[in-house]
Amino acid sequence: MGGKANYWSFLMAALITCLAVLPVQAATLHVSVQDAKDQPLKDAVVYAVPKGGSQARRGRGTRVTVDQKNKEFIPYVMAVNVGTAVDFPNYEQIRHQVYSFSPAKTFEIPLYRGKPAKPVVFNKPGIVTLGCNIHDWMSAYLFISETPYFAVTGADGEVAIKGVPAGTYIVRVWHPTQANPPEDSGRKIVLKGKSSLSFSVKQKPVWRPWRAPSASPRGY
Amino acid sequence: MAGAISITQRVLKALPFRFRSFRARILVFVLGLLVVLQAAGFLIVNSANTRNALRQISEALEVTASVFNRSISERNQRLLEKARLLSADYAFKQAFATHEHETVWSALDNHQHRIGANVMMLISLDQRVIADTLHPEINGAVFGFPGLIEQAMNSDHGEASAIEIIDGNPYQVVIVPLYSPGHSAWIVIGFSIGDSFAKSLQVTTKSEVSLLHRKKQKAWLLIASTLPMAERGGLSKTQIRRPDGTPRSVRLDMGGREYVSLVTPLSRGDEKSILAVLQRDLGEALRPHMRIRVVLIALFFGGLVFSIIGGFMIARTVTRPVLALAEGARSIEEGDYTYKVSVKQQDEIGMLADTFNEMAKGLGERDRVRNLLGKVVSPAIAEKLLSADIELGGEEREVTVLFSDVRKFTDLCENRSPTEILSLLNRYLTQITSVVENNGGVVDKYVGDAIMALYGAPLSNHDDAARAVTTALQMQTALEALNKEFQADGLPRLAIGVGINTAVVVAGNMGSMSRLNYTVIGDGVNLASRLEMLTKRYDVPVIVSGATKQAAVDIVYRDLDRVRVKGRVEPVDIFQPLAPAGVLDEVALQEVADYHQGLAEFRRQNWDAASVSFSLLLERSPVCQLYQLYSARIEQFKKNPPPPGWGGVVNYDEK
Repeated sequence: MGGKANYWSFLMAALITCLAVLPVQAATLHVSVQDAKDQPLKDAVVYAVPKGGSQARRGRGTRVTVDQKNKEFIPYVMAVNVGTAVDFPNYEQIRHQVYSFSPAKTFEIPLYRGKPAKPVVFNKPGIVTLGCNIHDWMSAYLFISETPYFAVTGADGEVAIKGVPAGTYIVRVWHPTQANPPEDSGRKIVLKGKSSLSFSVKQKPVWRPWRAPSASPRGY
Repeated sequence: MAGAISITQRVLKALPFRFRSFRARILVFVLGLLVVLQAAGFLIVNSANTRNALRQISEALEVTASVFNRSISERNQRLLEKARLLSADYAFKQAFATHEHETVWSALDNHQHRIGANVMMLISLDQRVIADTLHPEINGAVFGFPGLIEQAMNSDHGEASAIEIIDGNPYQVVIVPLYSPGHSAWIVIGFSIGDSFAKSLQVTTKSEVSLLHRKKQKAWLLIASTLPMAERGGLSKTQIRRPDGTPRSVRLDMGGREYVSLVTPLSRGDEKSILAVLQRDLGEALRPHMRIRVVLIALFFGGLVFSIIGGFMIARTVTRPVLALAEGARSIEEGDYTYKVSVKQQDEIGMLADTFNEMAKGLGERDRVRNLLGKVVSPAIAEKLLSADIELGGEEREVTVLFSDVRKFTDLCENRSPTEILSLLNRYLTQITSVVENNGGVVDKYVGDAIMALYGAPLSNHDDAARAVTTALQMQTALEALNKEFQADGLPRLAIGVGINTAVVVAGNMGSMSRLNYTVIGDGVNLASRLEMLTKRYDVPVIVSGATKQAAVDIVYRDLDRVRVKGRVEPVDIFQPLAPAGVLDEVALQEVADYHQGLAEFRRQNWDAASVSFSLLLERSPVCQLYQLYSARIEQFKKNPPPPGWGGVVNYDEK
């Protein structure tokens, strides 16, 4: 986790540098996401697309990690900028075979242990569904974002996207169980200072392959 | 039992034909009873057996239905497991990731064969067909079974199963999500459930299995069956209602064969549904029962034959001796008492035969006695003697007594052998006796040539006196005929005198207890005898007393005289019966009237007038002894008139 925090501070430092360069006033966007039953929705990606397209602030050079612990990916949902390199270190006793068939990035790291020499770089925006070939239930999502203004909700379903230049944005939410594509639920907002939004996400049933009971005492 | 027999008899009587023979009745009764009992037993056993067989089939079918449903659900489970395995197949995911239709289709086809499925489809999340092994060309068409996906969406793990008709053929299908690694498509796997599927179910359920399908309340269509082709039609035509709640078995007649059928629904949902019809051949199931039935029928006929033979034989043991007894009775009726019924049975009928033989013997003896008695005494007296206890003593009753005697029999006996005389006498007596008996008289006794006959004892008739008088008249005629025979045989002519009197006398058994006679005694009897004797004096064949004349009407009489016989104080009027009324001609009647005229003058002591009358009568009948007698008396009374109080009475002191 410590490594991840390092990356985040790095990212924030870069943002601040940008803001300092541009003569634009920064704003903060608060978004709370609930499910259809008004319960806070965890692992929802909230992202703001500037009007007139994204001033693509590529994540090139940034590097993040998706861990594999106890035969699960951690975190379940992660959002990164286009161009970000992701490491999939495996420090477990067993091997994993991480793969994705998603159009945004198709890759496969054949059965391995330890940290692969090269990270996987995600150059296309979109959703990358991660899986492990030998553990059906293992899955995680990478949200490859074009816009640099995004965040993932915690258990409270809340995010605060800070340092967003004032202006007009379309704010969208994505969640693995979302019934409709994010494009259907965009909200136009003129950001200035502090703004707040609330999203209610209509979910679809999503099933995950059964976790073998022997694999974990938790099981599902 | 007695009631049953009487009812049987009543029934038998009501029948258009009657069983006159006892044997037929016994046979009909025994056989009727047997047939009714056997038939009732057969019906009861048969229906119980059939019911039992039906219940067993029904129960078996219900068990089968649950086995069937269980095997369907187990099969479902297996299909699901296969589908899950496939959905997690990495190579397939890789193929899917290529998004090349041919590659995806080929991988699908490969996997279909790997798990032995009959159809496999890949459906996108927006319900479009990505690949269909049955139709390689289809790509992007709308998936035809949205209900299946809906069912999967509502399930816990995104899985569903159903029976669906694909291209007109029934399939058991399962749908599972394809994780690649997230849910990215649906995999549909179908297994054909045609006749071969039904066959495999038939092996486990041991029943005929048919599957029916219908869409939106349309007619049921047969989609798979183990039934022979000829019998399938009946199932579709049969109106099968979807059973509510517990399925119940029904009997269906299909193409001539009867099946016990149980209908059980296979898939839920209202729009379309599939029914499984489980059937067992009733004939097959009833086969053991049919064997019992054959045995029962054989037993029935066997029992019938035995009963016919047994009944016949038992009846014969009764009817044969009964026929022999009837034959014996007929012989006895005809007078043959020597007939002996031979029955060698020790039972009641044997006893009856023995008793019968004893009876015949007794009857024979009695008849012999009676015959003899009837010859010794008159049949009527014999009857009287036999009918009641014999005791001495008698009763007073009015009797007409007839005495007849052959005149001058002693003279006739001279110069003849006793045998000749006896023969003559017997011929005479036989003739006269028959006249007496023909008129209902009873010959009381023969005394030599004399006959004493009774009318009114022991049996009385209202016209006893007339019968006696008629007898006397007929005796004359009979004697006339007999005399002609005697003349022809060179025998002497006989003349008889008859005296008849009617009086109250004592009739009864007289004598001693060891030897007795039935007879009558009394003054009236003696008078009859005296009157017979007087016939010689008046030269008339018959003389009756006034009492007899009074009792025997419709006969023409001639008043003979008024006499006082020996031993009697009262005078008696005596008459000669001439003929039954209406027989005599005018002349004869006139002569009788003239005679009575003369007799009246005589009794009035008009001697002259009486003399004239009798002279005239003598002119007409010069040889009439009666007229001569009165002429002589008139002449005498002319000279010596009778004393005062004469009354026209003549005294006869001699016997």
